[in-house]
Amino acid sequence: MVQAPPAQDPFAMTTQTHSHSLPYLGYGLGLRVDHYETLLEHPGNVEWLEIVSENYMIPGGRPLVWLEKFRERFPLVMHGVSMSIGSADPLDDGYLARLAALARRVEPAWISDHLCWTGVQGINLHDLMPLPYTEEALTHVVDRVRRVQDVLGRRILLENVSSYISFAESQLTEWQFLAAVAERADCLILLDINNIYVSAHNHGFSPLDYLDGIPASRVQQFHLAGHEHGDRLLIDTHDAPIIDPVWNLYVEAVRRYGKVSTMIERDDHIPPLAELLAELDHARLLAAPLLREAA
Amino acid sequence: MSNLQTLQQRLLQAVLADRAPRLRDLCGDNSADTTSRLAIYRNGYRIRLRDALGTEYPGLGLMAGRRFGHLLESYIETHPSGHYNIRWHGAGLAAFLEYGLPWRDKPELADMARLDWAISTAFDATDEPTLSATALVDVPAESWAALRLRSQSHLQILASPYNVDAFRRAADGNKQRPRLRHYDKPRYLLVWRQLLTVRYRLVEADELSALTGATQHETFAQLCERLTEHHDPSNALPRMAALLRQWLDDGLISGWELA
Ligand SMILES: [Fe+2]
Repeated sequence: MVQAPPAQDPFAMTTQTHSHSLPYLGYGLGLRVDHYETLLEHPGNVEWLEIVSENYMIPGGRPLVWLEKFRERFPLVMHGVSMSIGSADPLDDGYLARLAALARRVEPAWISDHLCWTGVQGINLHDLMPLPYTEEALTHVVDRVRRVQDVLGRRILLENVSSYISFAESQLTEWQFLAAVAERADCLILLDINNIYVSAHNHGFSPLDYLDGIPASRVQQFHLAGHEHGDRLLIDTHDAPIIDPVWNLYVEAVRRYGKVSTMIERDDHIPPLAELLAELDHARLLAAPLLREAA
Repeated sequence: MSNLQTLQQRLLQAVLADRAPRLRDLCGDNSADTTSRLAIYRNGYRIRLRDALGTEYPGLGLMAGRRFGHLLESYIETHPSGHYNIRWHGAGLAAFLEYGLPWRDKPELADMARLDWAISTAFDATDEPTLSATALVDVPAESWAALRLRSQSHLQILASPYNVDAFRRAADGNKQRPRLRHYDKPRYLLVWRQLLTVRYRLVEADELSALTGATQHETFAQLCERLTEHHDPSNALPRMAALLRQWLDDGLISGWELA
């Protein structure tokens, strides 16, 4: 369905049509198969869920039946891993069409993916590869975010990734690049606090500089997660409990950005639900005094 | 070509290559050199594909045993992933095993891979209505000959002279590796999803013929006719009635019409 933009504003399709206020959802979890049953029976303090879009971009079968049950019970947001917004390959129209179709089914509060590329030349690395932080890459990404937002008819959130390499040609810091993408493309930001911590360690920058460089008005969601110690580098595995320095960084983030929808993202070594609920409560506890102050 | 494009291509090749090249594009520092930084992506790529294939191919894992790791490595090295959904990387594994050395000398492996893949694709195939066992009671007796059944479009029939089904069953039940058996004639395995549960079972020659007819939308009379090749003409109709009952119980039929 193509709608003609109003004649007086040639940029209406790219800048005016997206809603600017998204809801605050509170504290949520990434939905994982291991927790399907427990979450429906004893949702505890979970206020919302984030689904991995690709897991439900399928023709039929069991996952979609579960999805419907969760849709009835919780506010949902969609989180993708395959948009490859930074790739030099053309945007995958088939992927975007399927993503848009899923969004029509789910009616999520918002849709996110990562500031990265996942492949090129038609080959997929199934990884969140970092970009060089150059003007060229910035222009490229901004243009593509606008096009994706037009297809989806809404603003998207982009998440910062953990990285282990950096590029000699980079002219900007990661946070300058992320902030510039958000401002120029008019998109929002999903800050993964763990990823900031991991990348700060691996590249030797201060995570506080990172937080200071991100405009608060763009931050719509936080991810909290754990990681692994490699030989010399930190490896983002999202498979462990959140460690204290990441909790502390979360506090710094709340201090700066205030009330932001927060969730715990565990991708592997999925623990019993109760463990994640306890982490969620810990997040609430840490944020509460700061939010009271701000109120 | 843009800078970004060539940079991404160099990095992609560096991740895929047998041996890591030195990339001038990357910065190292005191905490880690560029080679060990790149190694995280190189290892991660291989581990992710191996894990995804392992999940899609449990029967093959049990059958290949200690060689499974090597089998997956050689597939991954020669078949970069081309689909955004990592599951679909496994689509070419059966063909790789069928024609590639040394695997082609063990044809049971390709057959096993085919069964695992059929189960995997049935899992999230398009939902279709399922006709209930009583749905056909209203068909008038004189119309039966012209009745055409619609079968679930996702159902698959695989032929193999090996007991691949026993391997898959053992893998799913965490049981010991069964002994490989080779039959002198191929056996036929039907793979389908009954509502939300993927199932598979053997079909005999007469059922195979009737089922083939049903998937080709033949009339009930034609299906009975097919059964006369396997049964005495007087037994064809009762046998067909029994098969139909079973198909309805199994959820194989999605609809019917009168021609
Ligand atoms: Fe994340």
